[in-house]
Amino acid sequence: MSEKDTSRRRFLQAAGSATAAVALAGCSGNGGEATPTDEPTDSDGGETATTEPQETTERPEPETRDGYLQRANLHCHEQAPWVFLNRQYSVYGQSSDIEWQPRTDERVSAYAIEPANDDGDDVVMTQSQMDSGLDPQDHRETPTDNIVLQAYEGLLERDREGTIVETLATDYQRLDETTVQFTVRDNVPFHSGDSLTPEDVAYSINRIVDPDVGIESPQVDQLIGVEGAEVESEEDRTVNVNLAGLNPIVFASFATYCDVMNRSWVEENDDAYINQNMDGTGPFELSNYEQGVEVAFDRFEDYWDEPAAISTFTINSASESSTRVNRLLSGETDIAVNVPPQEVSRVEENDGTSISAVPSTRILFNAMRYDVEPFDSPEFRQAVNYAIDLDSIVENVLQTFGSPTGQPTLEGFFGHNGDIDPYPQDLERAEQLVEESGYAGAEIELVTPIGRYLRDVEIAQAVAAQVDELSNVSASARQVEFSTLVSQVTTGNIEDKPPWYLLGWGNATFDAIQTIQPLLASDGALTSYKNDELDSLLDEAQSLPSESN
Amino acid sequence: MGYGRFLLKRGVQGVGVVWGVVTVVFVLRFITPGSPIDTVAPLDASQETRRRIAEELGLNEPLYIQYLDYLWELLHGNMGYSYISSIPASVQVFQKLPATLELAIAASVVAIVLSIPLGVISATRRHEPADYAATTFSLLGISTPNFWLGIMLVLVFAVQFDVFPTSGRAHGFMQALAAITGPAPFFEVAREWLASLFLPAITLGTYFTALITRLVRSGMLDELSEGYVRATRAKGLPETLVRYKHVLRNTLVPVVTVLGLQLGTLIGGAVITEAVFAWPGLGSEIIRAINARDWPILQGSLIVIGTGFVLLNIAVDALYAYLDPRVMAE
Repeated sequence: MSEKDTSRRRFLQAAGSATAAVALAGCSGNGGEATPTDEPTDSDGGETATTEPQETTERPEPETRDGYLQRANLHCHEQAPWVFLNRQYSVYGQSSDIEWQPRTDERVSAYAIEPANDDGDDVVMTQSQMDSGLDPQDHRETPTDNIVLQAYEGLLERDREGTIVETLATDYQRLDETTVQFTVRDNVPFHSGDSLTPEDVAYSINRIVDPDVGIESPQVDQLIGVEGAEVESEEDRTVNVNLAGLNPIVFASFATYCDVMNRSWVEENDDAYINQNMDGTGPFELSNYEQGVEVAFDRFEDYWDEPAAISTFTINSASESSTRVNRLLSGETDIAVNVPPQEVSRVEENDGTSISAVPSTRILFNAMRYDVEPFDSPEFRQAVNYAIDLDSIVENVLQTFGSPTGQPTLEGFFGHNGDIDPYPQDLERAEQLVEESGYAGAEIELVTPIGRYLRDVEIAQAVAAQVDELSNVSASARQVEFSTLVSQVTTGNIEDKPPWYLLGWGNATFDAIQTIQPLLASDGALTSYKNDELDSLLDEAQSLPSESN
Repeated sequence: MGYGRFLLKRGVQGVGVVWGVVTVVFVLRFITPGSPIDTVAPLDASQETRRRIAEELGLNEPLYIQYLDYLWELLHGNMGYSYISSIPASVQVFQKLPATLELAIAASVVAIVLSIPLGVISATRRHEPADYAATTFSLLGISTPNFWLGIMLVLVFAVQFDVFPTSGRAHGFMQALAAITGPAPFFEVAREWLASLFLPAITLGTYFTALITRLVRSGMLDELSEGYVRATRAKGLPETLVRYKHVLRNTLVPVVTVLGLQLGTLIGGAVITEAVFAWPGLGSEIIRAINARDWPILQGSLIVIGTGFVLLNIAVDALYAYLDPRVMAE
């Protein structure tokens, strides 16, 4: 076995540690067939999707990582392990006192806000919940990101469109298969006055990936395959990061997580203090923290880049969407996060407020377990997809704040296959496929969480009602608390999951692997599917770099 | 039974009830779906990460060990650490308690100030338009759900007329008090504090206003038909004195009892009002803790509310026994 193979397997092993020893092979029922389609194209795996998945035609081997991931998406479209639903939109209400455009990754950066008039200098934002503490490495959810990322920064980040840009790193490169190197920016002050050193960067990385350094960080699985970091040269300000194997998305991961902290400040203070105070390098410094109530920032005048355009930024919360909208309408807040469709008209009809919507990084889907009847039949799974009128769901349930999907990877993400269209509604074809699957007369139940995702229950009810319209299938929806569903899907055993369930998945790395690997690979932490062909496509994709991302 | 012994007995009973509350709250964690690990770990966390988190939270220990550990720590004033923020639960809970107490007391003040005059007018002008208006109000007040009333008040008085803020708590009582000597202008701070308190207090207090209005009305009607009222009138006492010095005073005894006990209910009832007004009190904290399965915070909040309720009951019992020693014999 070559060295390359060894290191690749080590990384995949690390990435796949999410589940306890699940056999890689093991396709059962009809779930395992590879069903290549006709009409290969000149792109790497970007073949045109077909509605005749049972026909077998040879396809050329992809040559690039992008090609393998596109092929993986095509496989998912054809084998339909999910009912493909919609991409969720982030919908904000905003006041005319400010100029601001939302980002795809759902994060709100106050640095991007500009005042439109004198009232826009002090900006207030209301989101649905407050932080889970101010430690930037001890959380993994957007509301806390929105708070800590005003004061903390990473080595890399993404711009509004999702492209990776340097922040505290001035350069980054892959030295060899298991080492990447960052050059740390000089003359960067922390809010406490200390200067950023390469040692701070190495410590921050180790604090996430090594449980023996400080905390048990929930971001460790986002930097999977990163084994540790060390200062290579104080003089050149370089930090080397050691990887378990070739990690194609290592820079995408660093652009999402790994905020840099001041080592001496962290070591001098306990967890409770670090969770109530901040010492970052970001464009805003903490001025007031009232746990669960309000976080207020002042512009950091010594910021290494241009100081922010606004003077203060305050974040508070209201769990009720109507309360957030009321605050916006009465001028108490400038940005209301997560405005539900039913509140949109109130914001649009009010003078001085408007709606800003942007496609988010979250996809909604209905997983169908490949190992139970009737979902062990690809024909049956396709039939369910054909039964759904996605356009109608997007228009009527989501009031156009969503877009239909036909593959696990969202448009604009690395590995997205642009030739795949969402399944069209075709009841006749659906009924015919049900007959072919041998499961005519099947009764199926869709399990949906309540209020976890935008209009999740309403979407599930619409899906169940549309499938129920088929003459040879009965479908219904059952609501459960999100925590109940979570306890079933996170055990690491496919058998513990409901046969058919609605889930949403946010992918902050903008890379197909971060959706397909955990949700559909045989050894994925949350997988509902096993297929040799898909596994080998992912395996090949992960053995190639994707620096163009 | 002596008064001291009576108080001791009630105290011991109270400790038993609090222990029961603690036990029920502890057991709740194990019969509620969802694991604390899911609170801390991301959805796609590896089984290895989950195992380490379970170890860190002490979830691998047998149930009785966890229970005894919890009781032991509680006796030392330690409610554990929030799974979410890592802040001690006792700190987080007691930080939120003043806002809820403030709201509950303000709602009680609203109830007292409005209900007693309404009840008196209603009883003394029985079957007159004022009586019909008061009884209609109490019927509406009892039947109107808190959350609906809150939303309507916000839409009318905050969004439409911009008289009060839509939600949130400005400053708080202590800060308003501190502004007397502090650099901030006192009147402005106090005005903002009262303005933010007004709509939530009305929302939470309306039900109790209606309830006590009915209580005062029926109590007063009962008293007015008593013999001593006829006697006082026969003695030539002015009607105002009869009503307010004799009748109302007797009517208020059960009202005070109900008010005392309702303060506990108000703290519990504040959960919905706090959610509507984004009031940063214990109610909002409980909702957040339930959604996030942040058990140390939820357990701490419930134990504080339960203990408060028990103490309030003991205080009312003690007051009753003092006023009417026959209670001790029962």
